[in-house]
Amino acid sequence: MIQVAGKQMAWREGMTVSDLLDALKDPHPYAVVRINEQYVTRPNFEHTSVPDDAEVFLIPMIAGG
Amino acid sequence: MSDYTFKETQTLEYKRPDVVKGYADQTLYINLSDPQIDIKPVAEETKQRFTGGKGYDLWLLWNAVQPSTRWNDPENALCIAAGPLGGTPIYPGSGKSIVATLSPTTGSVMDSNVGGYFGPYLKFSGFDALEIQGKSLKDVVVFIDGVNQKIQLFETSGLPQNAYELSAILTEHFAQGKPRNISVVSAGPGAKNTLIGCLNFTWYDPKRKRARYKQAGRGGVGTVFADKGLKAVVACWNNVTADTNAPADKARLKTVAKMHSREVVELDPKQNEMAKIGTTHLVTIMNDHDLLPTHNFRYGQHAQAPNLGQKVYRLLFDPGFDGCWMGCTVACSHGIKDFVPLTGPYKGKKVFVDGPEYETIAGCGSNLGIFDPHTVAEMNFYCDAYGLDTISVGTGIAFVMECFEMGLISETHTGGLDLHFGNRLGALELVHQMAAGEGFGQIVGQGVRIMKTIFAKDFGADPDIMQDIGMESKGLEFSEYMTKESLAQQGGYGLALKGPQHDEAWLIFLDMVHNFMPTLEQKAEALHWFPMFRTWFGLCGLCKLPWNDVIPEDNKDTVEPAKVMKHVQWYADYFSAITGNEAGPDDLIKMSETVYNFQRIFNLRMGFGRRQHDEIPYRAVGPVTEDEYESRAERYDKQLTETYKVNIDGKNTAEKIATLRKHREEQYEKLKDAVYKRRGWTPDGIPTQKTAKRLGIDFDDVVELLEANGVNS
Repeated sequence: MIQVAGKQMAWREGMTVSDLLDALKDPHPYAVVRINEQYVTRPNFEHTSVPDDAEVFLIPMIAGG
Repeated sequence: MSDYTFKETQTLEYKRPDVVKGYADQTLYINLSDPQIDIKPVAEETKQRFTGGKGYDLWLLWNAVQPSTRWNDPENALCIAAGPLGGTPIYPGSGKSIVATLSPTTGSVMDSNVGGYFGPYLKFSGFDALEIQGKSLKDVVVFIDGVNQKIQLFETSGLPQNAYELSAILTEHFAQGKPRNISVVSAGPGAKNTLIGCLNFTWYDPKRKRARYKQAGRGGVGTVFADKGLKAVVACWNNVTADTNAPADKARLKTVAKMHSREVVELDPKQNEMAKIGTTHLVTIMNDHDLLPTHNFRYGQHAQAPNLGQKVYRLLFDPGFDGCWMGCTVACSHGIKDFVPLTGPYKGKKVFVDGPEYETIAGCGSNLGIFDPHTVAEMNFYCDAYGLDTISVGTGIAFVMECFEMGLISETHTGGLDLHFGNRLGALELVHQMAAGEGFGQIVGQGVRIMKTIFAKDFGADPDIMQDIGMESKGLEFSEYMTKESLAQQGGYGLALKGPQHDEAWLIFLDMVHNFMPTLEQKAEALHWFPMFRTWFGLCGLCKLPWNDVIPEDNKDTVEPAKVMKHVQWYADYFSAITGNEAGPDDLIKMSETVYNFQRIFNLRMGFGRRQHDEIPYRAVGPVTEDEYESRAERYDKQLTETYKVNIDGKNTAEKIATLRKHREEQYEKLKDAVYKRRGWTPDGIPTQKTAKRLGIDFDDVVELLEANGVNS
């Protein structure tokens, strides 16, 4: 299991960040997520695996700076 | 510890007014030439029109200077203000001060915001703003003692030059055992010997038992301070509570403050972790999106960028509470304990480094081709101690390094320094030279605009290529974001009133990453609303981080997620609760619009403020060199063929660069048209008489100024 935005979610071998976001069916265009303490950005979503037991945070980065 | 002396030259005892609904309703005036201390009331119409903070600064400055006034004339005023909400300890991010003056690098109005305790202490001592004119031949310390209701001017000697030691000594000197009651504003030798000096504003860190500081960095405000003969301005206050601002509706204030504070505590750990790592998370995020400036903004990405990322600084930062104002739950002002510099006067000694933040990491790291966090920390430490702006230092040295690599300058000009990108010791040596006003550093400390002139005139360098790669606009060095692929952010920088600083508009993610604003009109709308709302923080004495760097979980489901309207409404409630003036989100925008347009007109008065002054170097718009083009050839080729319908068959890289440049520059001009129209300005970028009237800034001298510039009723 992994925890995504505070909710439990099933984990599977080889699951990428893109897979995870697809499964969420959340229309928000996330550009950054954090897996535990590791920041992952959209250009890396497709080839970044989510480890089992990870805690995933969806970062709503929009107009900061 | 230095042997130092204080000689009291002027004293004014006064009766401190109660702060009511966030205002003291008077300002403090000091003239250093013919020493004078005066207290001036704030007219009700000034309060209604300019709100406070930056608005008050600009009004004081407007009345202090003439169109002919230059930054180093005695009549130039240095103004510092808090704002009506400033000093509230229960609402996150409520301790900002705003500094405004005529800038040595732009010649026009500069404003710079900063944390630390000074602004709130100034206000609670009885003054909404401080205005300092004149010059002293001797070093002066101004002491604003709100506790004992006394203003004192001291001639001093023997005090250290650098802000690191000076802040500690003056805190101890004035504290009488209560260092938390003291906030010191000081510059440093770099501010005196360059045009890019910053100001250091202290806050006392009781856990670490030391004066820490934040910087008002931009546009040489520290240089003006040093030129006036100011050694320091010190404020003393005690007893800060939710009642100190005497809010109109304390219950309402507590309700909204609790909501925002709790949200930050709950969501920051799930989002950007600013309470642990500050703004360092941005380094790798920007890098991955090709937005982290490297090698003088040539590229937005580098394989070694993670060396400067949050993983490293998470380990380097000394854990603990790091709020630059009391009670702030964002608490992002981190620092490095027991850091040992490799160069300079502190070589081999343990020091505390306040920082670095993202801008310093990108400016003094990646943009110089330096990917060593230790060097960045050392640059950060010395820039602060010397009173130098890390952004202008970074962008300035980046320009020098590219000129060196292009062969525009050589070791003959640099005094033998090898200034290839990545030369850590060369960069540090330049910082030490800037502080001393010696060697090639003395030239670099003049800023990019003047360097371009010197390199062309004295060294025979090609002015055209320097115009393309010298990252300044209006005379101010760019802050540290890549804008080539975001037209909206090109406007965010180029159309900013004071020059290219991101505090007006940071639209890169909205525009480039999310593509939320595909049309020119949408970009123009964003370049209206965001600068206006961001300006409002500076009117009120607030930090903008709690607004949109910690975001409600349901924000993504709102109509306009980029504006984070839930927080905007909270800020409107906060303003209403403190001042008693009921305000909604649109009212906040109107407050800002008034001050924003007044500042644009102020620029016009100083000989700026037209379309031509909103130009930006081509490096900010597109690829200047063949290397830049070829490194992202697929992207640029695609834009030429698909967006601009250009047949690129048979074209070489130089031809493609020229064609792309023509189209991109046309887009930027079209953006200007759209933004000016949206802001109620003429096609030449000047507010119309109708706009001035609508906003209540149609004073006689404003109307005359507009008419003199061809803008008639």
